Amino acid sequence: MKMKLPLQHLCFFLMLAILVLLPFVNDSRTLMILLTQIFIFGILAMSYDILLGYTGIVSFGHAMFFGLGAYTTAVMLKQMEPTLSTFFLSIVVGMLLAGFISFLVGLLTLRLKSHFFAMLTLAFSGLFLVVAEKWRSVTYGNDGFTFRAPEIFRDRMTFYFFVLACLVVIFIALYRFVNSPTGRILIAVRENEQRTKSLGYNTLYYKVIASIVAGTVASLAGSLYAISLRFVNTSVMTMDITLDALLMTIIGGVGTLVGPLLGSAVIEYAQHALSGLARDYPIFERWIIFFGILYILAVIFFPKGIIGSLRMMFWKWRLKRKGINQSSVTLSQEKERFE
Amino acid sequence: MELLVNLVINGLATGMLIFLLAAGLTLIFGLMDVLNFAHGGLFVWGAYAGIFTYMFTESFLIGIVGAIVTGALLGLITEKLIITPVYGNHIQQILITLGLMLVLQEMIKVVFGPNGVAVKTPSYLAGSWEIGDVIIIKYRLFIIVVGFIIFGIFQYMLKKTKVGLVVRAGVQDKEMAQALGIHIKRVFLYVFMVGAALAALSGMLMAPYSGVIYAEMGMEYAILGFIVVVIGGMGSFSGSLLAAILVGLAGSFMAYYVPVLSLAVNMILMAIVLIFRPQGLFAMRKERST
Amino acid sequence: MNTLLKLNDVHTYIGQYHILQGVNFEAMEGQVSVLLGRNGAGKTTTLKTIMGLTPASKGEVEFNSISIKKSPTYKVAKLGIGYVPENQGIFADLTVEENMKVAMRKEDTATLERQNYVLELFPDLKKFWKKAGGHLSGGQKQMLSMARAFINDSKLILIDEPSKGLAPIVVEKVMEAIVEMKKQTSIVLVEQNFMMASRIGDTYTLIDDGRTVHSGKMQDLIHHEELKRKYLGIG
Repeated sequence: MKMKLPLQHLCFFLMLAILVLLPFVNDSRTLMILLTQIFIFGILAMSYDILLGYTGIVSFGHAMFFGLGAYTTAVMLKQMEPTLSTFFLSIVVGMLLAGFISFLVGLLTLRLKSHFFAMLTLAFSGLFLVVAEKWRSVTYGNDGFTFRAPEIFRDRMTFYFFVLACLVVIFIALYRFVNSPTGRILIAVRENEQRTKSLGYNTLYYKVIASIVAGTVASLAGSLYAISLRFVNTSVMTMDITLDALLMTIIGGVGTLVGPLLGSAVIEYAQHALSGLARDYPIFERWIIFFGILYILAVIFFPKGIIGSLRMMFWKWRLKRKGINQSSVTLSQEKERFE
Repeated sequence: MELLVNLVINGLATGMLIFLLAAGLTLIFGLMDVLNFAHGGLFVWGAYAGIFTYMFTESFLIGIVGAIVTGALLGLITEKLIITPVYGNHIQQILITLGLMLVLQEMIKVVFGPNGVAVKTPSYLAGSWEIGDVIIIKYRLFIIVVGFIIFGIFQYMLKKTKVGLVVRAGVQDKEMAQALGIHIKRVFLYVFMVGAALAALSGMLMAPYSGVIYAEMGMEYAILGFIVVVIGGMGSFSGSLLAAILVGLAGSFMAYYVPVLSLAVNMILMAIVLIFRPQGLFAMRKERST
Repeated sequence: MNTLLKLNDVHTYIGQYHILQGVNFEAMEGQVSVLLGRNGAGKTTTLKTIMGLTPASKGEVEFNSISIKKSPTYKVAKLGIGYVPENQGIFADLTVEENMKVAMRKEDTATLERQNYVLELFPDLKKFWKKAGGHLSGGQKQMLSMARAFINDSKLILIDEPSKGLAPIVVEKVMEAIVEMKKQTSIVLVEQNFMMASRIGDTYTLIDDGRTVHSGKMQDLIHHEELKRKYLGIG
């Protein structure tokens, strides 16, 4: 239930305007890097939301698509001329590869129940990590390699705008996707796959589509990530990446698209701040524990995340104002997520 | 001949360790319909707690006991605090147990330090026997023997005792088991604790075998455990043993003959099983309940 | 004659669906009380609510004058209520013997005597003693399930549609068994087969759309054509 409020659009444009103008007000290197990072992981988290929030499937292998994009871009820029066209080509190649692989993996695994799927995606992404480690002639294994980014991206600000543009395009595209007839069916799958199936929809087909969309977008995020570091190693394939995406989606609010973006901002900023603290207090080196605990608590007590909970409060407020008996509505809303 | 025997022993030893890990997973899944992604965390905690007890007391046996106790206690806490609130909700279970995995793994680094720890085999299990021209490493044989003993004990318990009957009945039809007066939640808790203890034992036994323990090993072996559960069939105890041995042997032979494929072979095995028999090779019959 | 089980204005939700919307029901000691009603009227849910499998959200459920509304299923069972579900709930991987054994809460002489008694009642079970429950025929499963519910000196046995999907000759056997069991225990029976219900039932309760609409002596219902036509579609 998207609210077609102009308020929402207003917020969107206001936010965009702030982000566009920001570099002209404050172009500190740290801030630029942090925001770029937030955008990149925002793209990744939004792609994850397509799976978790809109289709209701838990993948533990999202890192493999991210890593695929990162490696494709890095390898192509290293082996070929580091020009802008090579870069764009690498994005396309990465997305095609990711799309193809998510198609294959999806076809093989999405027939299975959620447990198996989660487990298998975990195993598949483990396999990709191993390949990245062992295929040293191309990936230089664990150590990774540096490469030259296209000239134009040497400038942090240009890259900032480029990533921001990507974010906006992807956000709008995904927004339209989840509100399209296909997106509606994905939500139906999330709510009750059996019933959707009995209505005559081939749910596997729709789940594979979701997985392809999520995979290709994650690959784009990976490509951008590689450029932002001008370096790549096996860490882009690790579980940590998947966990980041998961955390951002859960904390921000599943099934909202905006939530994961917000989640990305929260997590990236917190990581940034905590790693600063870690210099003085070693306990913060293990910041992931705090996130882990926060995450567990969020799953138990706060499963709708920030945006989801706000939205819920908004609905309750509206119902109250209209004086509708809300008990039955809350009940069905309660069931809306995580079923 | 010598080569063959060694490859088989290697494969069996690895298989047994994976079996101990997978046995808990499959029991917990079969009974509670919970796939515990934190199982690897219990495994690595067993390894660390056991090895530190062993180094402190200089007794490997006490170390093993330490690992089992740690596993059971962690199992108790996990079931009560983490699993109970999300019973019946698969997605939340998956998410929350993975979160726990993360916390357990990082806690290892806080408690025991971030670096790996080298582990020595106790002297009476170190070394090897030579039979003709076949060299058998003692510790590997030890693991195999322990694995079979534990399998035997559990098989006996499951097939011949009332406790086993209750667990098997619960795996097949929870509602009916309760309607017959069985306090199924308590059975859940015990099974979870036993499964956690098995994972911890597996970690402990793994330590001298691999020679070093590190925080990330939990996830690595948990993946093998998952693969075994898929191949063996969720909820099937003996299926897990066969699948674990299969995975162990395939790994050890591939590592020798086709090293490139050694890491992929398990995935390939699993993919084949999933395509042709998604319920697993040795899956249990389940009555369809309406 | 004592009231053994009493449901007073019971409401039950399954998920967001309001299934039972006011069920009143009484079962007397030593009788066969029959729950009648169309498909989906809420008969099975009533039994499940008694067992605590789908707990009531409103109203009162009393067994032997003790409230069992909030009791977990296993405690309800231990109080002495046996349950024979619609799908019989046989553990397919367990043998007949093991199915019996898992149900036994004690293994004293009284229980073993009761076991001998039900095995005489259902000789088939004895014949297939070591056979897996999943390999039994529908009728044998029904018998095993009833035997299992009987084995613990249950004061009350809830039986959900025992005639469903069985051949007439087997239905006859099951009916005889129920009549025989009635000598030692009380029975709540859910039944669509009015012929069967009317022959062995002492009292009836009619449920429609999750509400009790009528109850009384079975004798009276047999001649009450209007009720039968309205709520059971027969007559």
